Amino acid sequence: MTRLTLAIPSKGRLMEQTTEMFAAKGLVVSKVGHARGYRGEIAGLPQVDVAYVSSSEIAAALKSGSVHMGITGEDLVRESMSDADQRLQFLKKLGFGFADVVVAVPAWWIDVATVADLEAASLPFRRVHGRYPRVATKYMNITRRFFACKGFGDYRIVESLGATEGTCSSGTAELIVDITTTGETLRANGLKILDDGIILKSEANLLASNVAAWTPRLDAVRAEILSRMQS
Amino acid sequence: MAAESAQQFARLEAQAQVVMSVFTKAGHESVAPAVIQPAGVFLDCIGESLRARTYVFTDPDGAELCLRPDLTVPACRLHIARQSDPATPAKYCYNGPAFRFQPQGADAAHPREFRQAGIERFGDKEAERAEAETIALIVKALSAAGLQDWTLQTGDLGLFRAVLNAVQIPKRWQKRLSDAFWRPDAFRAELKRLTTAPGAAAKALPADLIAGLKPHDIAASALAVQAYLERNKIEIIGTRTLEEMAEHLIEVAADMLATPLDAKSAALIESYVAVRGPAKTAGVEIGRLLAGTKGGTGAALDAYDRRLALLANAGVPLDRVSFSAEFGRSLEYYTGLVFEVLAPALGAQSPVAGGGRYDGLMRAAGANADVPAVGGAIHTERLLAALDGGRS
Repeated sequence: MTRLTLAIPSKGRLMEQTTEMFAAKGLVVSKVGHARGYRGEIAGLPQVDVAYVSSSEIAAALKSGSVHMGITGEDLVRESMSDADQRLQFLKKLGFGFADVVVAVPAWWIDVATVADLEAASLPFRRVHGRYPRVATKYMNITRRFFACKGFGDYRIVESLGATEGTCSSGTAELIVDITTTGETLRANGLKILDDGIILKSEANLLASNVAAWTPRLDAVRAEILSRMQS
Repeated sequence: MAAESAQQFARLEAQAQVVMSVFTKAGHESVAPAVIQPAGVFLDCIGESLRARTYVFTDPDGAELCLRPDLTVPACRLHIARQSDPATPAKYCYNGPAFRFQPQGADAAHPREFRQAGIERFGDKEAERAEAETIALIVKALSAAGLQDWTLQTGDLGLFRAVLNAVQIPKRWQKRLSDAFWRPDAFRAELKRLTTAPGAAAKALPADLIAGLKPHDIAASALAVQAYLERNKIEIIGTRTLEEMAEHLIEVAADMLATPLDAKSAALIESYVAVRGPAKTAGVEIGRLLAGTKGGTGAALDAYDRRLALLANAGVPLDRVSFSAEFGRSLEYYTGLVFEVLAPALGAQSPVAGGGRYDGLMRAAGANADVPAVGGAIHTERLLAALDGGRS
């Protein structure tokens, strides 16, 4: 392969901030062809194909090696694979797209401030309700790894693809694992973050796939992009 | 895996027929529970560790379903569907596939699709007799299929509860230790907390909240909790109720005043957890441990001895039976006896059969009360591999 594919988020603030930051480093990204298309280029780097892809698909593409480099959130990377540190290289934290993945419970649970308290409370919960407390999240893998590491197993995950903060008051879950930046939305929905419940402090990262097809020429292109980004 | 080749499948079926005929001759009715099960019942009973290994999917109507990860819960559901009173005694047997995702990758010893031939015995109040007969029948079926070299590994959660009872620690601590028993690390942490600082969590609670709790009056305590929340403008959301919050807070607050668990009791609990060896000598050792306690040896050890005698009567050679207090920690729905049959050709990681007592499962599957239940299943592909001398 003689060309390097760089995946950039295809919409929203993440796309804007990526484009701005690249431009500030002298890497001017522009679309090729139609403005609503999904292909682009970088002025002065003719060996690079830019692909505009949704953030979660960028994680999957880096995992499979179908793109060489990409920009996406660490949360999506960690959720997509358990072996991220083998498959990918985290080249640079970009300083935007901040989001903490946290465990949050109803604020009125006075008896629960830590994961250990959660475990102590889930025993009587199970006696009263005949089932485990449910955790609403779209981060099923991150949640399982975190709770397993804390030795907490008395829960059941229910998948939630949107408006996760509302699941406790609507009665479809007892607690949630979700992303937050300021915690404001959580508070507005009557939730609090556990003292030891910050699972991951995530931000946008420039990443390279270890499993993509690299050649000495493409290594040089990657070094060029990275040195510009670090300038 | 064995069932994926036609020739192996024929051998598996021939073996299953031998096994099933042993079960039906002993009075177990042959049934075929559904392969596709509602996911909710399973996931509520088995916890997240097995859920991560269960194939769960959504059908076109949006219902959450799963491929059964074992046949015990499906057998409970079948029994509930057939009997207006789930406590009605019944004996079933089955032979069919179960499915588990293998996170380390599927191989011959850990296939994602495997066949279980097993028995379940519901509603039998003579616990030790039902347990001994269940083990003896599984062993008889294995022998009929040709397995000669095997050992039986047993554990007993009833004995663990008896030990907690014997040292006479508060009920709420007994429940916590029993719950944590499944996870060795959490268990050690809880035991350490009880022996050092049982009140640590309570000290973080606001004093004006603790002052309002009345240990023997949950309704009054619930009102106090409500008043505290109103004073602090905290909204109540979700499924937990004020009463269950109050009840749990009373337990937490009680820990604040509690003296730590004494070193002698903690040492006794640790000594019990370390017991392992031949089943007969293990019983003697546990008896010696409990002899000096306030609670004494109690009924659980009598039951243990009675079960061993019944096993011997049923023709199970006791020199092949061992006991380990820690055994059974990874399987969350068992409530008493736990057992596995091991074949030396396959090793301890791949038991050819296993089972135990699970009196709480029927209620989790939809019955209105606990029902005595004991059962066991043979992993038929592994049995075939054991008969082939460990090749698979």
